[in-house]
Amino acid sequence: MKALAYVLPLVGRLRGPLLLTLGLSLVTLAAGVALLGISGWFLTAAAITTAGVAFNLFAPSAGVRGLSFVRILSRYGEKVTGHDATLRLLSSLRRSTFAGLFRLVPVSRLFGRGDLVSRLVADLDALDSIFLVGLGPLATAVMAGTGMTVLLAFTLPAAAAVYAVGFAVATVGVPVLLVVASRRAGAEIVASSAALRSAILDGIEGHQDLVLFDAVGRARESAERCAGRLSAAKARLGRMTAWASAAVQALSGMVLVATLACGLSAVNGRAIDGPLMVGLVLAVVASFEASAVVVRSARGIAAAAAAADRLSALAGMPSSIVEPADPKALPPGGTVGFEDVRFSYRDGAAVLDGVSFHVAEGECVAIKGPSGVGKSTIAQLLVRLIDPAAGRVMINGRDVREVGSAALRQRVALMTQDAPVFNATVRNNLLIGRPDAADEALWVVLDLVGMKDVVSHLAAGLDTVLGEGGRTLSAGQARRICLARTLLSPASIIVLDEPTAGLDVDAERAFLEDVPSAVAGRTMIVITHAELPPAFGRVLELRAGCIAANDA
Amino acid sequence: MTPPPASAHALRPRKLLGQLGRSGGVSQTLSMTMPLLAGALLLPQAWLLAHVIDRAVVAGEGPQLLFVPLAVIASLLALRIALALVGDVAGIKAGEAGKARLRETLIGDMLGRSPSWTAERASGALATAVIEHVEAMDGYLTRYLPAMAQAALLPLAFAVVILPIDWMAALLLLVAAPLIPVFMALAGWGAQAASERQATALSRLSGYFADRLRGITTLKLFGREAAETDGVERASEALRIRTMRVMRIAFLSSAVLEFFAALGVAGVALYVGLTFLHLVNLRSAPLSLEAGLFCLLMAPEVFAPLRTLAAHYHDQAAAKAALAELQKLFGEVPALQSQTAPHRAPDPNFEVVPAAVTLSAVRVASPTGATVIEDLDLVVKPGEHVAILGPSGSGKSTLLSVIAGLAPYEGSIRLDGRELREIEPQVLRRSIGALGQRPTIFAASMAENIRLGRPQACPTSVLRAADRARVTEFAGGLPQGLDTLLGDGGIGLSGGELQRVALARIYLLERGLLLLDEPTSHLDVLTEARVLDGLCDFARGRTMIVFTHSLAVAARMDRCYRLAQGHLLATPRPAAEWPAQRGAA
Repeated sequence: MKALAYVLPLVGRLRGPLLLTLGLSLVTLAAGVALLGISGWFLTAAAITTAGVAFNLFAPSAGVRGLSFVRILSRYGEKVTGHDATLRLLSSLRRSTFAGLFRLVPVSRLFGRGDLVSRLVADLDALDSIFLVGLGPLATAVMAGTGMTVLLAFTLPAAAAVYAVGFAVATVGVPVLLVVASRRAGAEIVASSAALRSAILDGIEGHQDLVLFDAVGRARESAERCAGRLSAAKARLGRMTAWASAAVQALSGMVLVATLACGLSAVNGRAIDGPLMVGLVLAVVASFEASAVVVRSARGIAAAAAAADRLSALAGMPSSIVEPADPKALPPGGTVGFEDVRFSYRDGAAVLDGVSFHVAEGECVAIKGPSGVGKSTIAQLLVRLIDPAAGRVMINGRDVREVGSAALRQRVALMTQDAPVFNATVRNNLLIGRPDAADEALWVVLDLVGMKDVVSHLAAGLDTVLGEGGRTLSAGQARRICLARTLLSPASIIVLDEPTAGLDVDAERAFLEDVPSAVAGRTMIVITHAELPPAFGRVLELRAGCIAANDA
Repeated sequence: MTPPPASAHALRPRKLLGQLGRSGGVSQTLSMTMPLLAGALLLPQAWLLAHVIDRAVVAGEGPQLLFVPLAVIASLLALRIALALVGDVAGIKAGEAGKARLRETLIGDMLGRSPSWTAERASGALATAVIEHVEAMDGYLTRYLPAMAQAALLPLAFAVVILPIDWMAALLLLVAAPLIPVFMALAGWGAQAASERQATALSRLSGYFADRLRGITTLKLFGREAAETDGVERASEALRIRTMRVMRIAFLSSAVLEFFAALGVAGVALYVGLTFLHLVNLRSAPLSLEAGLFCLLMAPEVFAPLRTLAAHYHDQAAAKAALAELQKLFGEVPALQSQTAPHRAPDPNFEVVPAAVTLSAVRVASPTGATVIEDLDLVVKPGEHVAILGPSGSGKSTLLSVIAGLAPYEGSIRLDGRELREIEPQVLRRSIGALGQRPTIFAASMAENIRLGRPQACPTSVLRAADRARVTEFAGGLPQGLDTLLGDGGIGLSGGELQRVALARIYLLERGLLLLDEPTSHLDVLTEARVLDGLCDFARGRTMIVFTHSLAVAARMDRCYRLAQGHLLATPRPAAEWPAQRGAA
């Protein structure tokens, strides 16, 4: 079972709490069975006794009271430890899944974003049923059922076999059948809720366009269709669970009647006495509480299995790059070299077709070229988000594939075209570039990108929370925050991919004039199609997959 | 968003819960009455069981004589199981119906508001609202409501039946049972407060994920893997702590309940036992085993509906908390819609007429109240092309949304002489073609993305629009051309390619007024020139206002203005940078 394989590695740390939960649930169930059994026996015995005052009243009644308190306490303990352990498990699952995602960057090509959010939140949540409501109750029920069968074998052998079969079918057979039958419904629930989330996110993020193009009605219909699919799948799963519960109740009823019939003839044949028979019948009824719990949890297993399938698909994906087994140190300095680099992006069409150039330490270089010609690919190759099909990308004379990517990215900072402003304070947005930077350093970079005045006029200054996607800022201002973040980084090579998109001409010119002094001493590669100031530095023209012209 | 007044906060969720409960119709009624019937049948079943045991143990009768009552017990069991099944299935139907209506209402409400409303909210949180928070109603509808009906009727009915058999046993149960709701109410208050905090935490966690996923590349590039992974775990642990707070209270309340139930059952058992042993003599006639066993069998059943209610009590708390969260997001949770409004088909005979636009003394304030546009006047004649230049943050985008009818304004904006705010939205939408600053690419094929405003457009006109926007220049190189699927957020396309797809959308529409925000951003100079050729060609015979900082764009317009400090200043048209390619303007 994939779900189990996905979860098991994380269970080790939680072995203690999970075993405690299992133990407590067994105590709870056993106490419940004993409670009803002893009460039945005791009362019947009391009714037919002629001993009067001599009848031992206090031992059994104390036992009954003791058992009912034990049951209350152990049930409380079981629920608290079980839920807590499961939620801890979820936290570590979320953590490991998120950590795994970094490996797959650039990830957006593989999945829709809405789908990813759904994966992380809903899929991981669905996995909790494996433990809390899946394996635990099953183990408890099997143990309790075995105990009860042994007890019957010694006291009422005729009923033991019927009970064993009935209980096994109710506890294992019906839930397994339910899991198998509901697999499709479970998968459909996971898939349709991901589709619904995607539809809603699309509707929200594209809301303005939907309104402008009079397409709100269609977006709404498509979201409602997804909601309808989700609802139908949920109803199907619910109906299956209802039938399974009914089956368990029917089995429990049959076993009750059969035990009663066996018991009656045993009493009649003087094999056992009346009080014991009543005690056994009530104990049998109580033990079926365990199967009811297993069935309720089985409905979650199907969804969990579907979720686990998707999660392990994610975990099983190859990394976008392979870290070197024996990473070499990156020599100091900031030179960049492309040696006959080739790269195909979409289905074989060559994007870079033998690109070679060299950038000296401290140089400012602009790479220009028509849209879609592969300028951004050069940036991604430099920070090793992707690897070239042929040729070498060198930093300080070392192939980037020989260097650990953590070390590489400390040396080379890239501002991507779609770099976002995070839903966090201005300070925390900037600190991503250099976590240990002091406020003074933040103000310096803000000044550099022309945002000092804007930020100092914000209500809480550096502590102002910027909205989702930085939408409380104008597009240009958001770009400048991203730029400030990149400039704050300690890297000795700064790569800016379209840094001035969304800025006005004056700001663009001012920025491009200021930037060389701002990065003083650092190597800079700017990918842009903006007009460059005359003193900017070298310009490389990328055309048809090759660096066509170099001019000053 | 202004927070709703405290009284509304307390009242409205309950009203909406009531509405939801009623939306299930017959199914809801069935789901509440079937368990009641099944519960009532417990009485004959328990009595028969006690009767059989009495005859076997006291009179020593064999199973042959007891065949009939055993068969009746079996059929009663079967009947009760069938009733419960009908109730369950009906409950599921009612629950799904209620949730579906709530979802439709929320989706309709969300998309019916202005785009600035959605832009101010975390999209992850809104998606969570429609999916998870609505799902939180499930327990309330399918479990809590039926459990409530059973708890209200069955314990009392059972006690009343026991009364003539043994008044003392009935009295013991009647004393113990009413204590339960009191304690539950106490525990429930705490549970609800904790549930509300938990719903908030869940929403935050979801928003946090969406935000961090959007920027995962940036986070990776700055080596933030470890820190952000820790952050995810921290957020998740915070959710765990809040969840456990809710759970502990819920479990505690059920433990309290079990305690009283156990006390009640033990009291009855002890009393029955003592009576059998003649240590207690409160009865006029001796207690038979049959009657004693019946009381004992029914005693736990008196408490069972209350225990079920307690087990599902947190469903109600969770539903209320989820509604409170919805209210926080939506301001006021709208009344449930009975039916979705049918989507109206666009009028094919709509005629394109270049519009006249007149702005006088227009003033626009930002959501925080700061003035963005002040006392602005502008007259654009039909068919005229105007550029509005200005530094970023000067309010260009705001001005566009105001003229596009997306944001409120003071003063007067007239479109062909009619005041903008008085024009019906559907008429307005068919008069204006607008390109926002951040066009969205939807997860669909490129052709479908272009067809956004005209889903029925024929392939030829899509191709013509794509051609004009120079989309075909890069789409032609793709194996599937215009049928290439575009990912979420348009990834796979560069910024410039995305921009051209967005322009092609506009070219497919027949609109008399074009409002374009930075139509050529992300484009290099040569592509920009070609795209502008297409734009000017399309805009002939239409009114066009372009908000830009590109001088190349401005050079192609008839007139230029500069937007600064909220005012417009006429400015000379910049000299064309590519004189050879100047389009007709």
